[in-house]
Amino acid sequence: MRRLSTLASLLAAAAVIGTTVPAVAQDPVAFTMWTKEGEADGSFQFVQKLAADYTAAHPGVTINVVNKSVENLRTDFLTTSIARQAPELLWTVSDHVGPFTASDTIQSVDELVDLSTFLPNALQSVQLDGKTWGLPVSFGNNLMLYTNTDLMAECPADTDAWIAAAKTATAGGNYGIAYPQTESFWLVPFLGAFGGSVFAEDGSATLDTPAMVSALAFLKDLKFTQGVMPAEADYAVMDGMFKNGVSQVDPNASLAPSATPPPTGVAASVINGDWTAGAYADLFGDKLNICPIPQVTGADFPKPYVAGTYLMFSKDLAGDAAKQAAVLDFAKYATDTPQQLEMVAALKRLPGTNAAFNDPIVTGDALLSKVAAAAAMGVGTPGNLEMRCIFDAMTTGIKSIYTNADADPQGVATQMQTDYSNDANCQ
Amino acid sequence: MFDLNQAFTALSDVALTLVVLLVLVAALEAFLYVVFVRWRKSRMALPIMFLTPAVLGLLILYVYPLLWELNVSFTKMSIRYFVDPGFLGLDTTKGSIFVGFQNYIDVFTKPVLPQTSFYQLFAQTIVWTAINVFFHVVLGVLLALMLNRRLRGRTLYRALLILPWAIPAVASLQIWRTEYNFQYGAVNQILEMFGVAPIPWLSDPIWNFVAMLITNIWLGVPFMMVLTLGALQSISQDYYEAADLDGASGTQAFRSITVPLLKPILLPAILLGIFLTFNNILVPFFINANNLTSSDILVTALYRAAFSFTRYGFAAAFAFVIFAILLVFTFFYVRKTNVLKGALES
Amino acid sequence: MTDMQVREVTDARRQRKDGYLTRMTRSPRRGADSPIKRVCIHLALILAALIAAFPVIRVFSTALRPGNNVLSTSLDIIPKGASLDAFNRVLFDSKLPNWLFNSLAVTLGTAAVGLILAATSAYAFSRYRFRARNLSLTFLFATQLIPGIMLLVPIYLLAIQLNLVGTYQGLVIAYAVTAVPFSIWILRGYYDTVPVELEEAARIDGCTEFQTFRLVLLPLSLPALAIVFLFNFLAAWGEYFTASLIIGNSESLLTWPLGIQRFQSQFTTQWADLSASSILVSVPIVILFVYISKYLVSGLTLGGVKG
Repeated sequence: MRRLSTLASLLAAAAVIGTTVPAVAQDPVAFTMWTKEGEADGSFQFVQKLAADYTAAHPGVTINVVNKSVENLRTDFLTTSIARQAPELLWTVSDHVGPFTASDTIQSVDELVDLSTFLPNALQSVQLDGKTWGLPVSFGNNLMLYTNTDLMAECPADTDAWIAAAKTATAGGNYGIAYPQTESFWLVPFLGAFGGSVFAEDGSATLDTPAMVSALAFLKDLKFTQGVMPAEADYAVMDGMFKNGVSQVDPNASLAPSATPPPTGVAASVINGDWTAGAYADLFGDKLNICPIPQVTGADFPKPYVAGTYLMFSKDLAGDAAKQAAVLDFAKYATDTPQQLEMVAALKRLPGTNAAFNDPIVTGDALLSKVAAAAAMGVGTPGNLEMRCIFDAMTTGIKSIYTNADADPQGVATQMQTDYSNDANCQ
Repeated sequence: MFDLNQAFTALSDVALTLVVLLVLVAALEAFLYVVFVRWRKSRMALPIMFLTPAVLGLLILYVYPLLWELNVSFTKMSIRYFVDPGFLGLDTTKGSIFVGFQNYIDVFTKPVLPQTSFYQLFAQTIVWTAINVFFHVVLGVLLALMLNRRLRGRTLYRALLILPWAIPAVASLQIWRTEYNFQYGAVNQILEMFGVAPIPWLSDPIWNFVAMLITNIWLGVPFMMVLTLGALQSISQDYYEAADLDGASGTQAFRSITVPLLKPILLPAILLGIFLTFNNILVPFFINANNLTSSDILVTALYRAAFSFTRYGFAAAFAFVIFAILLVFTFFYVRKTNVLKGALES
Repeated sequence: MTDMQVREVTDARRQRKDGYLTRMTRSPRRGADSPIKRVCIHLALILAALIAAFPVIRVFSTALRPGNNVLSTSLDIIPKGASLDAFNRVLFDSKLPNWLFNSLAVTLGTAAVGLILAATSAYAFSRYRFRARNLSLTFLFATQLIPGIMLLVPIYLLAIQLNLVGTYQGLVIAYAVTAVPFSIWILRGYYDTVPVELEEAARIDGCTEFQTFRLVLLPLSLPALAIVFLFNFLAAWGEYFTASLIIGNSESLLTWPLGIQRFQSQFTTQWADLSASSILVSVPIVILFVYISKYLVSGLTLGGVKG
């Protein structure tokens, strides 16, 4: 009933518009898009506006924009796919390529869209089995170093310089360096710095390697020998510690060591993702600096995973030519340069297309050019299903490194490999 | 901003729902009335009319899904075999995905988490459940007994004590986790005021388990308290007056009146508390931030297989194993406590 | 019903009230608490209330803290630079009022349906003996053993087949029925303690079976009904997974657990908004409970039988 009346009012509205504007010869199309974007950083509002702008220009099209958390988007998409009720379009993370291709629930986009307009680096995270499975709306999702310039003025030249600067900032419950000690996503860059990778060319897991042992030894040294990190930190604590560096009451108050003793629980530098660049910039203003994670002394630059946000198309959509055309047209609109630049302005994220990426608005932006420089250090995020088991095995491993000063990096690396091969979920 | 149109849409949907239910139930009851009262003139007409709607609902919402899951548990339906299994997965677009009892065998023979076997998790789950439920019941009953007195500020106490149940766990548990931080958390700061050295709540296996227990006890006490508060009302005051006339002490009255009369409501509540704790995923998920295997319980492994890896077949089998464990336990519990006595006998 | 019967029943109710008044005013046991004991009870309750409320106070502090920061390094209740901005935002800039309204509507509907289902079924179990009774009661228990989330996929598939997706119908039925087994157990236990003599007397006076149930047993069972209502309410109030599948696509139907999801992204969380929402979400529960506490006063008195 309600749907009928909605439809009727829509048709009525269309009729009214039709009297003033030449009628659009198009059958009404309605489709649903699930997005992982939340309201936290204004990104849900942006997606809603994008859909609203599009439907305003295309009165025959209705887009139902629904927010789902990353995990629920995946499980709900699979459940609704069993019943052939899946949403037509997804706006989600690259990690979902693995499960959605394994379950054969999304379409490859190679035949649908001209991919040459998109950043090759953004595309590689959604390429699997020789095909491309999503269109990058944005590029990034990479880890970088954020510093509070009151406490760490310059981008450290290498990790020795970073540690030295961190030591001066470490005192009285304040620390020079913080990042989540509970997530293996933060181990990946350092593994890369020592030339390691979680998968070999043939796709087998390579967790027990000299590179992994060196990375673990380096992080253990950072925590226990150098003593520049808090005893415990998860994402929320790390984020809070960095934010504590901004004095909320008096924006002019300085936290420099020479001034009055700062409150405890401040981090001078944190490793965090590009997703928070806008929020930190708003909070810190010109007291924020963004750098690539410093080069490991005696080794390479850390190589964080880089990916982006992607549009993916439900497999069931392929059966409905009219709807498929409408959804593709919206996807084209969403990744067109004006909309991409609108996203850059609203969300401070790097765009996913070549044209927008090389636009002066991006290249001339002080913040975004630093984000782009950090993203350039990254490697593509592997999209295959086994990544989850890899991450879980590494998480259990780094936990022993960070909580036990006597942990043996070689033993931990071996245990990671064993855990991975013992994980019934990936065998 | 409150959107009046949307509220109206929602409200009319709820109204519609209630009307539809009312019409359905009325039709059903009319049918039953004609059959059992008018035609069969059955003595059991009323109970039949009373029970049928609930029985129908339960059949649809429990029996059908259970049969569906049972069917899936004999297949390897998963993200790689993502097809409607049909009957036992014998004939699907990907060929037969029937695996017999393999999923059930896997539960017992393969590590269900990378470092943990089923048996270790089972032991941890038992410890977890026993300690939690013990404190839920003891503290819940104690608070209910105190709140049941004539007491100044009783309403305020009741309102405050139900807060852990009232506030969404998604917020309170994330706050709890931050409070357990070694250096900055409130728990260690408060302990420090009493001269206790800081405790590594999140990184030490034993302390993390204790942290999970504290959090879950905090979370679960109000439920037992409220149920006991209700149960206490089923005890007629006359009993106490009689006991008082006989010169019984407060403790004697408690033991010989309160306890036996609380039993019929508390024993099923305790059993439900055991099920809820056994199957509690939220607290381990939020408080075991360090992925400690010692803080895992059976359902964390189940959820990992079911949600993170979408192994429908294995997860279904795993769920039935957990179901069977609780069923066996319930059987002995019922025999031992006579929770169903009076209900089942006669 | 004749006037005679009505008087009989109202008498029974009055006696119940009298019994209650008697207890409140001159019950020897309740008045017997010594001052020292009373102080001890107050101290214990204050300590318990502090422990219960403390984490909630911390949630409140997080809602007041500027900069969207969950990490507190002090025990201050009112953080530095505290503001009510987050409450302002969730009340006037977000859809939280709508989500709360929707949840209230759905949950009240569910609790009413669930209560009626359970109150009647429990009566059948308590007062009648029939063949499948033991089996049914055991089955009711068994339903509670199942890790609930396992039933999600088949229930969703069922809702699709019955065309119940995108409306509250499927949701209300699912919530009400899921809560029924436990409600029946609680109510049956309570009904069992109500002396059957009261109902027999009413029957002798010419009440039908249904009238006895409605006019004698139900009024006497108010405390248990109140508890079951609360239980049903809370079981539906915070439910996420079923709602996500059944009404997740309908913006105007969203309940608060689906709505506040928007305050959390993969890594970042709008801590202040999430906390402020959580505080607001718990207000209806506390009000409901305080209101319901009024009924947590015994309806029972043996006087009804003796007299």
